[in-house]
Amino acid sequence: MPVISLTVNGNPVTADVEPRWLLSRLLRDHLGLTGTHVGCDTSQCGACVIHVDGKPVKSCAMLAAQADGAQITTIEGLAQKGKLHPMQEAFRDNHALQCGFCTPGMVMMSVALATEQPDLDEPAVRKGLEGNLCRCTGYQNIINAVMVGAKAMRG
Amino acid sequence: MEKYGIGQPVRRKEDVRFLTGTGTYIDDIKPDNLIHAVVLRSPHAHAKILDLDTSEAETMPGVLCIVTGKDWVAEDFQPMPTKSAVNKKIDGTPLNQPPRHAIAIDRVRYVGEPVALIVAETLVQAQDAAEVVEVDYEELEAVTDQIKALEPGAPQIWDDIEGNFCIDFELGDKEGTGKAFETADHVVKLKLRNQCVTAAPIETRGAIASYDKDTGKYFLQNATQNVHANRDTFASVLKIPSEDLHHMAPDVGGGFGAKNSGYPEPSLLLYAAKKTDRPIKWIGDRNESFAADTHGRDQATTVEMALDKDGMFLGLRTRTVGNIGAYCWTVGPFTPTGGSARTQGGPYYIPAMHYTGIAAFTNTMPLDPYRGAGRPEGSFQIERIVELAARELGMDPVELRRKNLMPADSLPRKTPMGLDVDTGNFPEVFERTLKMSDRAGFAKRFEESARKGLRRGFAIAPYLECTGGGPKEFAGVKFGKDGSATLRVGSMSTGMGQETSMPQILSDTLGIDFEKITYVQGDTDATPIGGGHGGSRNMEVGGSAVLQCAREVLVKAKQLAAHLLNSNADDMELKESVFTDVKTDQNVSMADVVAASFDQSRLPDGMEAGALDTDTIFEREIISCPNGCHSAEVEVDPETGTVQVEHMWIVDDFGTIINPMLADGQVMGGVAQGLGQALMEEIVYDEDSGQLVTGSLMDYALPRADSMPKMEMAFYEDAPTAKNPLGVKGSGEAGCCGAPPAIVNAVLDALKEDGVTHIEMPLTPEKVWRAIQDAKQQGA
Ligand code: FES
Ligand code: FES
Repeated sequence: MPVISLTVNGNPVTADVEPRWLLSRLLRDHLGLTGTHVGCDTSQCGACVIHVDGKPVKSCAMLAAQADGAQITTIEGLAQKGKLHPMQEAFRDNHALQCGFCTPGMVMMSVALATEQPDLDEPAVRKGLEGNLCRCTGYQNIINAVMVGAKAMRG
Repeated sequence: MEKYGIGQPVRRKEDVRFLTGTGTYIDDIKPDNLIHAVVLRSPHAHAKILDLDTSEAETMPGVLCIVTGKDWVAEDFQPMPTKSAVNKKIDGTPLNQPPRHAIAIDRVRYVGEPVALIVAETLVQAQDAAEVVEVDYEELEAVTDQIKALEPGAPQIWDDIEGNFCIDFELGDKEGTGKAFETADHVVKLKLRNQCVTAAPIETRGAIASYDKDTGKYFLQNATQNVHANRDTFASVLKIPSEDLHHMAPDVGGGFGAKNSGYPEPSLLLYAAKKTDRPIKWIGDRNESFAADTHGRDQATTVEMALDKDGMFLGLRTRTVGNIGAYCWTVGPFTPTGGSARTQGGPYYIPAMHYTGIAAFTNTMPLDPYRGAGRPEGSFQIERIVELAARELGMDPVELRRKNLMPADSLPRKTPMGLDVDTGNFPEVFERTLKMSDRAGFAKRFEESARKGLRRGFAIAPYLECTGGGPKEFAGVKFGKDGSATLRVGSMSTGMGQETSMPQILSDTLGIDFEKITYVQGDTDATPIGGGHGGSRNMEVGGSAVLQCAREVLVKAKQLAAHLLNSNADDMELKESVFTDVKTDQNVSMADVVAASFDQSRLPDGMEAGALDTDTIFEREIISCPNGCHSAEVEVDPETGTVQVEHMWIVDDFGTIINPMLADGQVMGGVAQGLGQALMEEIVYDEDSGQLVTGSLMDYALPRADSMPKMEMAFYEDAPTAKNPLGVKGSGEAGCCGAPPAIVNAVLDALKEDGVTHIEMPLTPEKVWRAIQDAKQQGA
């Protein structure tokens, strides 16, 4: 089994991984980071989105072995010192989640969108969330939350 | 307390957990010594099992146990029960109900039916072993369409059930309705389908079972909406007393009905857990979710309306044939019969109505309630026929609806379907929706669309629905010395936010600190009974139980406060968490009363320490009638057939609103699922082979962020119901009732110049484009 070293939520991690393991599996089953959810096996739902070297990635669509040397942030690593990230705050304040299952992926994707596009507008949010499915909210509150969260991130 | 009171948009307690990745869903739970299971499922829609050989699989690395139908027969395990409220045919004989075993015994009847459970040390080992289980099938002819299933000569799914017929049902005045049609100036008729869809929660189903051989008790953690009823189902299958099975639901990632029922897998897991003496986890994958989660809707309907020359409705006749799949499942036969009958005719005054519903078996995954279960179908039927009537009579569809709504002063009224509509104001809700819809600006927007070569349409769809699910609910509260309270309720949230809204009711009534209330649900050990979730009953029945419980606490708290102040309980008034004697102005805080309740020296005679702790059961006498109105504006590209829903306006009468933020969330989520059904979702089986064609998220389209319109919502709050102490009517399923007809009718309005009068759901670009082409040809 290849041994990989990576940084997860700021902590150095070394792991023995089987070549066929998905990154989502490494995070959930071996590092105990169960906040990253798995909702499908065809890379459609986006519940598993994390940041790899600052970019949004569907962790079910990447092999663990490919993460050697990477800087990874999962939903667990977003809040700092017990304080919610502005995007997390915005989701809560705008009721952008119900069952919460899509939420980790939604939030990670939204943070990435807001970071990549400082002048994010509503159509860009809708487009940017194309790869993230939510069955509960009807998206409107998610879109509102992303707009508010993005603004808060800009400071 | 105001901030957390009834009617306030209190932010959710559960959110911090969900937002930081610290929620606990079923797949996040990892007991020590855990082993894993996969379900081997039938690849055939209909086949005999000639032989099932597990010998090679058993020798595979890590394999611990394989369960098959042979075990079920050897153990004499029982079939799972069906509890349809409609269970007699029109002729009075009982419905045809074949045995529903948790695992196929000698025949499979739908693709995805469990054939074996393979348990191994690791998931991969279980998957590998499943590959080498040898099943020798003899394929049989399959039928997946309910109309074909009822035809003579159709493949027979059950040897002893002739013609795949489960049950028929009728409601209303057949003769009177017949007369209305005879004397009518106009009769409008439409055949339509409410296609088969599925809930597709983003979290798939899954469970973990274990067995304690010292106590002889089983423990099941399960992504379910309903722990009590399903505990009883699994216990009856395994022939154990219900007390021997502790059933719990962790955080559940959405349900919408698909996590209601007692599924086969938990019984298989419980049995294997005892055999292996290890905790076993099974998590369904997305394909299993499509193949083996219950499906919904799937009705083929003929609806006819009789009108007089002025467009007044005289009669409604509906005849529907519902697919229920290969088994009766838990309440499957109810949906196309009683479930769809009750709200026929929607909020219109129709003097004569008659409904006939038939449930037929086919070789598909069985159907059970999906968000609305019959009411969305009823709403779609009436709104489509009204729209068509307006078109055929050359009337304005808005005007036709307006003049036929039940007048406010006609309530309370029992409809010809027996639905007790107590409160509401349909005309007012209709006019408000219309007012919000910016009709004045439509012409301009229409022109703008036309300039781009696009069509624009509008439709309005008032709806009337009703609640359902178990009528009884438990609520219990236990106080802590520190002023904390633990609230246990038998109804349950799978995302709707009861962890917040239920404490709101408690806090509002008792003036106790919202932040100090812990909410417990989904645990058969925590509440003696529980109806779980279904039929928009959470607030209606669960919330009412919480209110009743809080009021019982209040009676005792007043006595105690009076004792502490040396006055009379009747003189105690609770305001902002303080009891004040209205005569003497002396006061004592609720927090102090709670503290005193643990101090025997401060208690009056007859009260014991912990005297405020209260358990109660509320029972609903009669179901409530949520209602409202949706309108939709759509843009259609005639070149491609693409539909974009631009805007929706919605006014709902859910009675009292406990938390408007959460109620809005329910509406929008329901609208999204309604839009999904209207435009893109459909479970498709191959007609010949019975194979599931839509087995993944690539084949079954779900609405995405850019599919959704802007939604504007308002509540009509002037008509709380007296049917329960909270005055609530239920909000969970309304979106699925209003959105599909509003959207479909708006598309047809957009295409009226093209001559298109009907398109079956889902209105995919291909179907819309074809409808335009067909109309063109017919016109030419
Ligand atoms: S789990 Fe669905 S996209 Fe990764
Ligand atoms: S909140 Fe349930 S899937 Fe998005």
